[in-house]
Amino acid sequence: MLEEKIFLKSDVEKTMDNYEFLGLKKSLEMKSEDIVKKITDSGLRGRGGAGFPTGKKWEFALAQKNDVKFLICNADEGEPGTFKDRFLLENMPFKVLEGIIIAAYAVKANFGYIYIRGEYSKAIDIFEKTIKEAYHRGLLGKNILGSNFNFELRLIKGAGAYVCGDETSLINSIEGKRGFSRIKPPYPVQRGLYDKPTVVNNVETLTTVAEIMKYEDNIFAKLGTEKSRGTKLVSISGDVKLPGIYEIEFGSGTLKDIIELAGGTKDELNFVVPGGLATSILKYDEINIPYTYEDLENAGSSVGSGGMIVVSQKHDLIDILLNVSDFFVKETCGTCFPCREGNRNIKEILLELKKKGYKEEYKKIIGELREAILLAARCGFGQSSVNFIYSVLDKFFYEEVR
Amino acid sequence: MKITINNREYNMPENISILEAVKKANIKIPTLCYIEGKEPYGGCRLCVVEVEGSKTLVPSCAVKISEGMKIKTHSEKVRKVRKTIMQLIVASHGISCELNCLTCPKATSCELKTIAEEIGVTKINIPPVEKNLPTDFSSYSIVREPTKCIVCGRCIRTCSEVQSVNIFTFANRGPNTIVTTFMDEGMGNVDCTNCGQCVMNCPTGALHEVYHIDGVWKAINDPEKITVVQTAPAVRVAIGEPFGLEPGTISTGKMVAALRLLGFDKVFDTNFTADLTIVEEGTEFIHRFKEGGKLPLFTSCSPGWIKFIEHNYPEFLPHLSSAKSPQQMFGAVAKHYYAKKLGVPKEKLVVVSIMPCTAKKYEMHRPELAGDVDFVLTTRELAKMIKESGIDFKNLPEEEYDDPFGISTGAGAIFGASGGVMEAALRTAYEILTGKELEKLDFTSVRGLAGVKEAEVEINGKIIKVAVVNTLGKARQLLEKMKNGEVEYHFVEFMACPGGCIGGGGQPIPTTEEVLLKRMEAIYEIDYDSKLRKSHENPAVKKLYEDFLEEPNSEIAHHLLHTHYVARN
Repeated sequence: MLEEKIFLKSDVEKTMDNYEFLGLKKSLEMKSEDIVKKITDSGLRGRGGAGFPTGKKWEFALAQKNDVKFLICNADEGEPGTFKDRFLLENMPFKVLEGIIIAAYAVKANFGYIYIRGEYSKAIDIFEKTIKEAYHRGLLGKNILGSNFNFELRLIKGAGAYVCGDETSLINSIEGKRGFSRIKPPYPVQRGLYDKPTVVNNVETLTTVAEIMKYEDNIFAKLGTEKSRGTKLVSISGDVKLPGIYEIEFGSGTLKDIIELAGGTKDELNFVVPGGLATSILKYDEINIPYTYEDLENAGSSVGSGGMIVVSQKHDLIDILLNVSDFFVKETCGTCFPCREGNRNIKEILLELKKKGYKEEYKKIIGELREAILLAARCGFGQSSVNFIYSVLDKFFYEEVR
Repeated sequence: MKITINNREYNMPENISILEAVKKANIKIPTLCYIEGKEPYGGCRLCVVEVEGSKTLVPSCAVKISEGMKIKTHSEKVRKVRKTIMQLIVASHGISCELNCLTCPKATSCELKTIAEEIGVTKINIPPVEKNLPTDFSSYSIVREPTKCIVCGRCIRTCSEVQSVNIFTFANRGPNTIVTTFMDEGMGNVDCTNCGQCVMNCPTGALHEVYHIDGVWKAINDPEKITVVQTAPAVRVAIGEPFGLEPGTISTGKMVAALRLLGFDKVFDTNFTADLTIVEEGTEFIHRFKEGGKLPLFTSCSPGWIKFIEHNYPEFLPHLSSAKSPQQMFGAVAKHYYAKKLGVPKEKLVVVSIMPCTAKKYEMHRPELAGDVDFVLTTRELAKMIKESGIDFKNLPEEEYDDPFGISTGAGAIFGASGGVMEAALRTAYEILTGKELEKLDFTSVRGLAGVKEAEVEINGKIIKVAVVNTLGKARQLLEKMKNGEVEYHFVEFMACPGGCIGGGGQPIPTTEEVLLKRMEAIYEIDYDSKLRKSHENPAVKKLYEDFLEEPNSEIAHHLLHTHYVARN
């Protein structure tokens, strides 16, 4: 449903002439409450990974009585295997911008930030130009498009910490603090950036918002299944012939179908990571399930951020595990003990495993570490940091090596 | 509010955390990163509990109770997870032969050890982590051993939230996260005030004072040296704690006996020079008050506070009293008067202070003051020496201080608690200014643990407004208000540590609010029980002026008992 307009960064000005901001124009004629209701009715869930209902988040934020509220677009895409936000930022910056302004208007926020991952230099360039041009055209600033809505937007470049994709760490980062997560509650919608109510939405979420608002009827709600509405951008990478970004209607096919869509695997399929490295894997014989939130959750995994990684049998499993473990050890923020020390120890065990082969005695300590991290880590990063590794260990080592 | 804890129903007040509620139910949950009375941090995760309806375990420090909440504090799941986390902590604590618990300075006050025992960790399945981080010896007061640091952040939060000094920070990421100072420059090269509150809050041996014990033993055992020791007011009400006595047990006599048994030649009392300080500082106040000098006058006994103002508010330096602290006055009098009296060169005299304070170790090294005090032992170090010597402290018969610096008044004693210097000064200033006897000696409004206390006294028809501040965070707040002209005073007492010296960075660990109150009570008890309660009535002080110092603020007094300060920004 997302229309595609590929352009070069020098084209921002020219291309903006052809973009109508229809969703925004319609939104500005509506009351905030009505926009929130429309988004709630659409059934849109946050596309960053956690999947929290967007309408609900806005409803909480709108209910907050505060002179100052913030809207943050989370463009700190860092989930390994996920690159859909980059695509949107580079190719549809106006739609992203449109979504940001609509969201701000809906929750009555007059200040906003787009926090873009530092490594996305092209996206940063394009968005800088987009913001400048938007001010020029009265899409940002005072009395947007002749309405009485004022909204200021600034771009922040991330310094390169995966954990800053967590909304509370991201807020700390904008405030100039160390990228540590904050304790919830209070949630950002209650007390976020500079202690003011703050809505943090993902790039894809906001882009979808712009699209939903464009249409009179709720076409989004009509797509997908009862519990998984609309479409989702899936970034497919790994051992497929046509890696890339695919827009998938929820429930329209199985994981296997999506892999086929991406040209199928190069070698014999081993397993799939459906939603980025923070989600659990599904083995080659588990992929005949429809691509929906509910079916993936039933299978013990998750839609996550939509970063699907396809792995064939030609790779050494321990090497993959070490690689992934290394990522989580490097990126754990260091605040909470189970995540900081637990991930370090998991890596140690994997190194042993590589050197000496699988031993039954690892199982107990591995199990203990998993439980401590899963049940006691401080934020979503920690809690999901063990999903991939443990699902691989469970599905390959415990069964087959034992 | 009704909640269920471990299958029992309780009625609890609203708006409290699970941790507080559980405590009210007389159940203890282990905590490590939690600091009572401060914002929860939620890093150690040891305080997690099971709450019905929650998929993950819930950090009890950070989550408030809600109606009908069902909590399990020590379920199988909770205990298992706690054990694993504790194992991870112990493994990251550099547990190896070179860092054996047996030789750790915090061996007797190690929270890790206590908690590991409470949780029931008896075996570590995880290989220990080698950190190999260099020890920071750059400070005169505090040593930092990052190898033992478990990165709980309590020092960081104490330094910033209580003291507003902010010398610590986290650096690096993930398992490489460390606590360090600005640009890793070391504690001696940053704006550290040496207050030692980080040491008081560190659950491990990663932070401790610079030990002077070896030097003191050497001096005691050197037949060529005459060792004189002075004991600060706040030590006597805390020194019993490491020997199992209740906090607030007045152990003056036992302490004196123990010091003699250790081998000190003369045992004197800093209270004596506290009285001397009051006479000098009080006279200074009277001068400024009468002759229109710089007011408000700020007290200068707390070396942590002095360094804080030198770093952060140099524009206020002219407000500081030029009187040296009691420790340094003692050193000066000992080296320049007592040595002469004994007929020995001052190099033969070794002056040792027993202080509740880590900043005093820095103070003795200040170029303006150096040479008068040779060693400073904290209350904890003294306890160690007494233990090393096998002295049965608890059962020692009480002994008296030596003459002439053992005579002191109640006014000298109350220096140990926040508000004491002010109260002592007012007793003296009032009588000198009015020429009348002060009827009510107790200025109760400057007592207690509140951060800022105020009082007004009428002297000769003029209202004198005073304030008493403890902790550097509160000092910063007050100085900002002063800068903006929001408050006006004539005299302000500043103490760097919570509760004043009784909560000093050299005191026994743990020093909780409850412990502070008991020590404070004891300090005032000493005052009540004193025959003399006004510094200017101290006969030994009077004699010292007659024999040597001539009169308060005389030239010689100025030369020996006063100092100056430096801007450090």
